[in-house]
Parts: sequence; C-alpha cells; structure tokens
Amino acid sequence: MADTLADNGAVAPADGPDTGHDYDGIRELDNRLPNWWLASLVGAIVFGFAYWTYYQVFHAGPTEMAAYHAELAQAERAAKALQAAHPLDDATLVAMSKKPAVVAAGSATFHSTCAACHGANAQGLIGPNLTDAYWIHGGRPTEILHTVTSGVPAKGMPTWGPVLGATRVQQVVAYLLTIRDTDVPGKPPQGQLYQTAIAPGGK
Amino acid sequence: MAQEAVLEERRIVYDDGTVRQFIGASIVFGIVAMAVGLWCALELAWPGLSFGIPELTYSRLRPLHTNAAIFALVGNMMFAGIYYSTQRLTKARMASDLLSKIHFWGWQAIIVSAAITLPMGFTQGKEYAELEWPIDIAIAVVWVVFAVNFFWTLAKRHEKNLYVALWFYIATIVTVAVLHIVNSFDLPVTFFKSYSVFAGVQDALVQWWYGHNAVAFFLTTPILGIMYYFIPKAADRPIYSYRLSIVHFWALVFMYIWAGPHHLLFTALPDWIQTLGMVFSIALWAPSWGGMLNGLLTLKGAWNKVRQDPVLKFLAAGVTFYGMATLEGPLLSIKSINGLAHYTDWIIAHVHGGTLGWNGLMAAGVFYWLVPRLYRTKLYSKKSADAHFWMATVGILLYIVSMWSAGVTEGLMWRAIKPDGSLLYPNFLETILAVRPLYIVRAVGGGLYLSGFVLMGWNLVKTALAGRPVNGEVKVLVEERARPAASLPDLLTGRPVVLASIGVGLTVVLGLVNVPTAMVVLTLLFVLAIVVYLFAGRQDPTRPAWHALLEGRPLVFTVLTLAAVLVGGVCELVPTIFVKSAVAETGPGQQPYTALELEGRDVYLREGCYLCHSQMIRPFVSEKLRYGDPSTAAESRYDHPFQWGSKRTGPDLARVGLKYPNLWHYTHLMNPRSTSPGSIMPSFAYLAKDQVDLSITPRKLEAMRTLGVPYTKNEIANAAASLEAQGDSIAKDLASQGVKVAPDSDLVALIGYLQRMGKQTQPSPVLAASNVPAPMRAAAILPSGTALAGGR
Repeated sequence: MADTLADNGAVAPADGPDTGHDYDGIRELDNRLPNWWLASLVGAIVFGFAYWTYYQVFHAGPTEMAAYHAELAQAERAAKALQAAHPLDDATLVAMSKKPAVVAAGSATFHSTCAACHGANAQGLIGPNLTDAYWIHGGRPTEILHTVTSGVPAKGMPTWGPVLGATRVQQVVAYLLTIRDTDVPGKPPQGQLYQTAIAPGGK
Repeated sequence: MAQEAVLEERRIVYDDGTVRQFIGASIVFGIVAMAVGLWCALELAWPGLSFGIPELTYSRLRPLHTNAAIFALVGNMMFAGIYYSTQRLTKARMASDLLSKIHFWGWQAIIVSAAITLPMGFTQGKEYAELEWPIDIAIAVVWVVFAVNFFWTLAKRHEKNLYVALWFYIATIVTVAVLHIVNSFDLPVTFFKSYSVFAGVQDALVQWWYGHNAVAFFLTTPILGIMYYFIPKAADRPIYSYRLSIVHFWALVFMYIWAGPHHLLFTALPDWIQTLGMVFSIALWAPSWGGMLNGLLTLKGAWNKVRQDPVLKFLAAGVTFYGMATLEGPLLSIKSINGLAHYTDWIIAHVHGGTLGWNGLMAAGVFYWLVPRLYRTKLYSKKSADAHFWMATVGILLYIVSMWSAGVTEGLMWRAIKPDGSLLYPNFLETILAVRPLYIVRAVGGGLYLSGFVLMGWNLVKTALAGRPVNGEVKVLVEERARPAASLPDLLTGRPVVLASIGVGLTVVLGLVNVPTAMVVLTLLFVLAIVVYLFAGRQDPTRPAWHALLEGRPLVFTVLTLAAVLVGGVCELVPTIFVKSAVAETGPGQQPYTALELEGRDVYLREGCYLCHSQMIRPFVSEKLRYGDPSTAAESRYDHPFQWGSKRTGPDLARVGLKYPNLWHYTHLMNPRSTSPGSIMPSFAYLAKDQVDLSITPRKLEAMRTLGVPYTKNEIANAAASLEAQGDSIAKDLASQGVKVAPDSDLVALIGYLQRMGKQTQPSPVLAASNVPAPMRAAAILPSGTALAGGR
C-alpha cells in the first residue's frame, strides 16, 4: 500500500534523498510530494475559488433562503392542487367515518399523536373530552377538521395540518366522528352542545 | 561555525518524572471519561438510569464526558508526549521543575474541579467550554505556565534547529491560548455564574471557531507532533518527506481556522461565512492527509514490524483513523451532505472516530512504547496489548457503524415527505424508537473499548512495578554561545515572507473594494507562495533554505505561526462582531426576556437541555412543516449565550412556545414518558422542588443590561416582583387543573421560558406603557386567560 501512496510515476528507490537531519536519532528523508496529493490540494483550492465566485461574487446560484422559498412555493402549489382535486364537506367526512380502513388509520394516528393530551379513550386529560356532545370550537365535521388542521395555539392545541398532512388529519377526524357522543367518563363537558341528530351531516 | 568555540561536555538528565505523572493521570482520567461516556450511552437507551438524581442526569453528565475525554485523557497524554519528546529534541531538560510541577498539579486540579462543578450544573452553556469563569482563568494561567516552560526550554536548547514535532507543539500552544481566551470572554454575575459577552449569531460563530479549532489544535496538531516523534522512533525508520512536513504544516495551521462555520451550515449565520467555512473545510482534506501520509509512509519498509509490535499496530491504526476522520470531515462540510447529517448521530460517529480512533489509539501506542522505557524494563504482557488492540478496534467499529446507521436513519426520517406534502414521520418519537436498538449497540462498542483501555492500565501498572523509574540522559557538547545562524532581517526578507506579505497587502487593497473577493485572493496567494517555494525555493544547494533558517529561530517561527493562524479568525470574526451590515437582520427582532423567562433560561442552560435540543430551524420545507418558519439572526440577538445547539436527540425547540399548554409541559418534565411514550428524555421532577434564587435575579438583569440588552432601571429593580407575578400566573393555571407547584420553582421558570420560545418577536401592546411592570408584558403573551386575571 505504501508504495502506491507514494507513486510518483517512477520507480522510487527504497529510501529517497536524505536531508542529513538527525534529531535524537530521527532521520528525515526528502521525498517529493505525491502527485495525486498535490493535485488534490490544488484541486480543492481551485474548487473553493470557483464555488465562492459563483455564489458570493456573481450571485449566480440562489441564496439559502431563495432556494428554500422556491422549494416551499412548489410544495404549497402541490398541496393546493391536491386539495382542489378532493374537495371536502361534512358529508364526505361522515362518509369517510363509515370506512373501517380509514377509521383504523385515524385511530392509529390518534393514539400516537393525540392521546397524550386527550387521553387514550379520548376521555380528556390536558385537552378536552372528545366523546361528549360538547365542542369548544364547533362540532360540525368540517369545524373539527379545521380545529385539528389549524390548531388553537392560544389554548395549547397544536397546528397539526403541516405536521400530519391533510390525509392523516381527515383520517383522525373520521375516527373522531365514530367516537363522538359515546360519553366515555372523563373530563366534564366543555363548550357548546352540538346535536348530531338534527344538524346537517349528522348521523 | 565552531572554529573558535570552546567545547565543554555536559551531562543532561531529563525530567521524566513529569512524563510518568502525566501518563498516569491520562490513564486514570481516561477511564473516568469513558466510564461516564458509557453511562451516558446507557441512559440514552434506558432513561430511567438517571434515577431522578440531578447529578446523574444525562444532560449534566455529557459535558463531564466530553471535557474529561478532551482535556483529561487527551490533554494529559499530549503533555506526556510533549514533555518527553521536547526534552530529547532540544537536548535540554525542561527549563523549570517548578513550572512543570505547577503545570501538572494545576491541570489535575482543573480536571477535578470540572468533575465536581459540571454535574452540579455550573456551566456556561457552550459546548466544550462549559467550565465557569474561575476555572477558565485557572486554565489560562496553567496554560501560560506550560507555554513559558516550553519556550524557555526551546531557548535553552542544545540543538540548533527545531524538528517538525516542535512546530506542531508551537502551533498548539499559541492557538489554544488565543481560542480559549477569546471564547471565554464573559461577564460574571456570581462566582459560579456568568454570561457570554457575545450573543446570538456572534456567539455562535465565536463558539464554533473555538469548538472546531479545539479539535484542530488540541486533538490534532499536538498528536501530529507526537506522531512525528514516536512513529520514526518506534519503527526505527526515517521520516518520509521533510518537504511534505513543511507544506502540510503551514497549510494545516492556516486553513484549519477558517473551517469553523461548517458547524453552522443552514443556520442564521450569514451565507458568506457559511460558504467560507465549507470551501476551507474541503481544502483541509489534503493538508490533513499530508500528515497521515508522512506517518504511514514512514512505516514503509517496516510493515513486517507492524504485524508483530503492538506499539506500531496502535500507531498505524491511529494514523489510519486520522485519515478516515479527516476525509469524513470535509465530506460532512459539503452543504447537501451536511443538510442530511447535521443534528444527527452521524456527527457522534465522526467525533468518536477521531477521539477513540485517532487520539485513543495513538495514546495507547505511545504509552506502550514509553512505559517500559521510563521504567527500564519490558512490557509486562504483549498478549494483553494485542488483545487490547482488537478490543479497541472492534469497539470503535461497533460504535461508528451503529452511529452512522442511526444518523442516516434520523436524517432520512426527519426529511421524508409524503406525496400530499406532509411529513411521513410526523412524530419525532418515531425516529427515537427506530434508532434505540442502535444506541444499545453503541453502548456495547463503547464498553468494549473501555474494557481494552482498562486492560492497558493493568498491563502498564504491572510493567511499571516490574521495573524502577529511570530518567533519560544525554551528553552534549556545549559551545560558547554561537551566533544565531540567521539574522532577523534575512529571515524577514525571505521569499515566503515577502510573497505572503505581498499577498496580504494586495488582499487588503482589494478588500477595500470587495471584501469577499479579497479573502479568496489571500488564500490563493498563500497557496501560490507555498508552491513557488516548493518548486523554486531550493535551487542553490550551497545556500541554506529559508525554512531551515527559520527552524533555528523559535520566536520568529512562533510569530509567523500565530500570523498564519490569526488571518482566518480575523477575517471571519471581526466583520461579524463589529460590522453591522455583515449580519443582515431581517424580520422582527427579539424582545428581552422577562425576569422569570431569564431565570427559566438559566435552568435550561444548567440542565444542559442544549445538548439534545436545538433552537435553530433550518430553511428546509421538512423543518418548516415540523417546527415552523426558519430561525433568523434577529431572533437570538439578546441570547447570551446562544443556544442554537448542535444535536437533535430531541426535537428543535425554537418555536415550541404556546404549542402545548402549561399542563403538558409540567407533565412532560415530571415524567416525559407520560405524554410521549418511548421518549428517552430524563425526568426533571427535581426541578419542582428547586427554587429560583430571587436575590440574584436583579443582578442577572443588570449584567444583561451591561451586555447591551435594553432592560430599564425599573425592570431591574422590580425583577423579583415581576418574576413572582408571572410565576403565579403559571402556577394558578396549573392549579386550576389540579396541579400544585410553587410559583417561584425552577420548574415554573422553565415552563415560562419554554412558552416564550419563538413568541419573543411579538412585542405586546402593553410594552408601550413604560410604567407597566414586566409581569403584565408576560401576561399578555401567556396562553391562558387565567394569566391576565392574575395580573394587576
């Protein structure tokens, strides 16, 4: 291996030229620098110069923030397009709550993400009880969807939309629609009564 | 030269007692450092191991682990190697036995005080610079003692020129002094509490200029010097290339300093410094490998010995790990790779490749070579040394490979986005659960490495007991003071100095026109000077080369080294600290913390939260989704010290304020697993019992005011009342939900700080009325309605 590392394109003698130095018995040879090593040194410096000039002198490439904003705009466009393709109303969400696969997925997300504050049985803990008929921010399916998506930062409900994404939020809401009005004993009711029986999109 | 000199034979006895002491200290503290590291590793897999005891909590122990590994294990090993080799390379006993003693005992006293104060939570909150100001001063004093002793020895030398090992020692001593002093600028509040004079972006840059170059000039250059002495000694082979030594030495000391900003890629640090950090890091690859090549190629013709001699095995493997780490470093500095790897365990793999692989194996090789010689006997057990070699190697591989896998897993899971534009793994805990098995593998690897190290300790103690301590000696012919071979004017008009000066001059002129371009030109010219020197500088064989003359003048050599080192630091730090336009502050700026939030922030520092949580959201869509908008420079302008962090064992906290209710934070801090099943965060229940010391609070605000945070006299005078009022509002909110906690407890202060994070940029309308006390300001931004009710 050593011979390969030192390859200068010529057959090197066992020992290179000696400097004649002797420090506490340590001698020093004066072999030439390996060509590949010199090339990597000069190459890296030339690259550095080119990279610097490209970004910092001619501003030919985007800045960090410009690149970020471009990426962000594209992501937002894609999300909007997806939303437009699948419009949501109360009826759609209720229909989703009838599909076992959707509800199961929503239940999984609920237990990994929401149960810490709302309780494993949604009976309320740090956050309100979700199994009664009372809703602080509206009980219509689309209102629940809005609460989960945008959160209520002033009261400690996080903004889950960007984190979970539209699909998972809809699944969670579908799951919630299956457990509302089941009155699991827990935190006492808070907010306004929302009667599913007479309301649009109800059972 | 010696034509008229009177020759006198003189016997010089070396001071090897100090070398023996440093070796012993290195091994003992090395075992402590690694044992604490192993404990930390186990806590990351089983968080219950902190047992709710503050001093055993992971985040308080980790600084002890890092400080002990760097300053106690490697520091003492470095001093042992330097004391042994410097005396022999200068043919002179260390100049002052008293200074050697002060150096040894002073350094050990610093280590012991670190081992006591760090678990107690006395910290400045800056990585690898945690020690509080009285200890910082002690470090500076002991370092100066070491420097005086070393340079005095050089002055008394009986060898005309300085060997390459000594160049590296010189670079180490002057640069570490500069780094330590600049990064330790702080304003004491009490004997055990101080605030960094720098804040936000500036503090971050100074810290990583320090942090990166502590790696360079504490863990790298001295060990390279040691390599240059011990490898040719142990292998009985000449150094491969003297000119390679010259080129890679100067390139290394010049370039290393610039690379610090690669620790801050994609942060709020200005783009131009990030770019500088990246390109210099890439350029550092070749100078680093120059050292590795000179080490490995010196073994040319001795590889058969490497197979049999444990000393050479350790040294060869150590240098190989150095090569790996210095290839990985530039790789990690490439922005796109850094975007994936930063904040992950990949960085943990990288630093352990350096410390366990390079420093640890070199230490073992040097100790196995030295101890038998220092006790004039043979190594007690060669078999055990061989076993140590394999335990160390396998241990490192388990460690590195598991942390590589964990790092890449984390990086990929954090950024994974589904087709609908949402995060694939929205819950941070999912990544924790994924990498936890790898944390266990890491602990096994570290345990294996530690066991090998203990085996070495036993082997060396047995060796020492079999012999008796002897001090080396040498006979030298002392001449009547011969005149220095090179006059100062000759040296300072040498081609390299002239070329470099022209380069700097040109750059300054250009700098007045265009600062960035000038810096690049400076670099190019410096390299040009080296190349010209290489190819044109040694034409006349009868004339001694300029560098050889330089080697005869330690003072000039030191000054030039210092100059080469300072250029990078000055170019990056000075504009950032003193030129306002160099750091563009966009968006809303940070408002000063209330008294409660400031105290809460000090709890955050004391408990070492910054070791696992960053406060710096990078401009990636995945981070925007998970944490919110990218962090800006203006948002941490009053953060003395900055708390951007360097690792995300837990999620980023820059915008965690008001994301969860007070009760969530309370429950989570008391027992993280109650709100976050599978979390590996330690429990901080003990914070509920600790009380904020209200008598110091006004002094803290006063200190911040001195540092430029715009607190009014009124706010400082009312600090305690304001703290109690805001604490009361949080405690009342918790009480309304059935939780009783003292309003002036550390826990409530910490919650106050957490709820404020990322919200600090919204000045409350109440703020405008100057006679309104701070608690009202706080009340206006608190989450629950009860907060306002608690106000006046």
